[in-house]
Amino acid sequence: MRRPVALLLGLSLWEGASRSGWVHPSLVPPPTTVARVLAELVVGGQIWPHLRVTVAEALGGLGLGIALGAVLGLIAALLRPVAEVLEPAMALLNAVPRVILAPLFVIWLGIGVASKVALSFLLVMVMVFFAVYTGIREVDPRLVERVRTLGGGPSHLVREVYVPSVTAWFLSTLKVAVGFAFTGAVVGEFVAASRGVGYILSFAQSTYNAPLVVALILLVVAIILALFALFERLERIWLRWKPEYRPTPPRALPSGVDKAKGE
Amino acid sequence: MTGLEVRDLTVAYGAHLVLAGLSLEVPPGAFVGLVGPSGCGKSTLLRCLAGLVRPSGGQVAYTGTPDGARPSVGILFQEDALLPWRTARENVALGLRIQGMPARRAAAEAGAWLRRVGLAGFEEHYPAELSGGMKKRVALAQVLAPRPRVLLMDEPFANLDAIVRHLVESDLLALAVEEGLTVLLVTHDLEEALLLSDRAAVMSAGPAARIVRVYDVPFPRPRDLMAVRAEPEFGRLLRAVWEDLRRQVARQGWGARA
Repeated sequence: MRRPVALLLGLSLWEGASRSGWVHPSLVPPPTTVARVLAELVVGGQIWPHLRVTVAEALGGLGLGIALGAVLGLIAALLRPVAEVLEPAMALLNAVPRVILAPLFVIWLGIGVASKVALSFLLVMVMVFFAVYTGIREVDPRLVERVRTLGGGPSHLVREVYVPSVTAWFLSTLKVAVGFAFTGAVVGEFVAASRGVGYILSFAQSTYNAPLVVALILLVVAIILALFALFERLERIWLRWKPEYRPTPPRALPSGVDKAKGE
Repeated sequence: MTGLEVRDLTVAYGAHLVLAGLSLEVPPGAFVGLVGPSGCGKSTLLRCLAGLVRPSGGQVAYTGTPDGARPSVGILFQEDALLPWRTARENVALGLRIQGMPARRAAAEAGAWLRRVGLAGFEEHYPAELSGGMKKRVALAQVLAPRPRVLLMDEPFANLDAIVRHLVESDLLALAVEEGLTVLLVTHDLEEALLLSDRAAVMSAGPAARIVRVYDVPFPRPRDLMAVRAEPEFGRLLRAVWEDLRRQVARQGWGARA
């Protein structure tokens, strides 16, 4: 209850400050103005084609980044010589603020979708690589030993130990990765594009249209929050073995349980 | 039944000699307890028998198997490393699945094992939802389900409280007899070693550890652990083994005044 009240209070203060002229309304537009612009965008429908392009770019980069990052992370973790080459390369890529590569991608791949997907992909891939790589390397060695002493080979280790233990790391990375994916797409569009939310943003910036900028930001945030909700559902399924995702364990049947053993 | 013969086993980590010419016999179907001061190389010996550490000399021979082939060996460590993302049933079925048993049969068999260790009704629980004693029972079922002939245990009950420990030990003893298992139990707990085993071997302090003495533990099976504790013979044995161990620890230098 406290949070909605605080939100409402904050919004009304903002509204008041903006309307009274205490802050300049065209620099910090009041929430009602933003809401009106947002409604026009959504109801009027002009935003949908742009939004679709941006979401497609972000999800494309996310998907490709996850796929290649996970595969490279897995290979590097299992094969030491590969790790010796890949790890420093990835660390270097990680050190570069990758969005500054956007102009290069535009030169290489043109102002279309490809350059945005590439930027998005690069941002996500490096991150997923490290999540999977460290996830596998920090697997509990006792579990590995357990599977080995039960006679399990590499395929059992991957299925029973590595994949489940990396899943937890991976899911926590996924939320940050989706933010990165949209950063890549929008910044890419910002640099050079003919469509997309970033393109509209850059237009809004050049016309000093603060309400439109804020409305677009809110739109992107809403999409990311929706994806977060989806990931939380995945966590509930994939991490159901964690006590925090399993509030009610199945009831043990009292029959057949020796009371003396009910430790 | 399968027995185990360790002859002149030597294990070295670089220049550090852990075991030097250690010999030990575990007769078929016997329960042998191995006690020694901490750090003497007990765990190294066990890991060597389990094939996790390569010896630098000597040999481990199994008796009673065709051509002395390595029989299936079960290993239970102090840390019950159950897979946290698998239910009790899936954890117990793991070894069976690895052996190639079809999933459905392995699940049914695992259920039967969980009943044998007193965990009927907890099949679908994850390890995080089980107590320490229950996890230990699941680990025991997991190790025994693939029907090993030899069971190697390294301080398996060290982190259980006294009551739970007593209950799990009693059940382990019953299962070992039912399954005709040959057991080697490594522990620093003299009482545990004497209560459970037919023979208790005392190991010298490391480095370069050997077996210094082997005691016969004369109590008949099946054993009532509480009754055994009360026997005067038990007290006498305990004192004798303790005396051996004390000498070993004193020889090691530290603890001489204890």
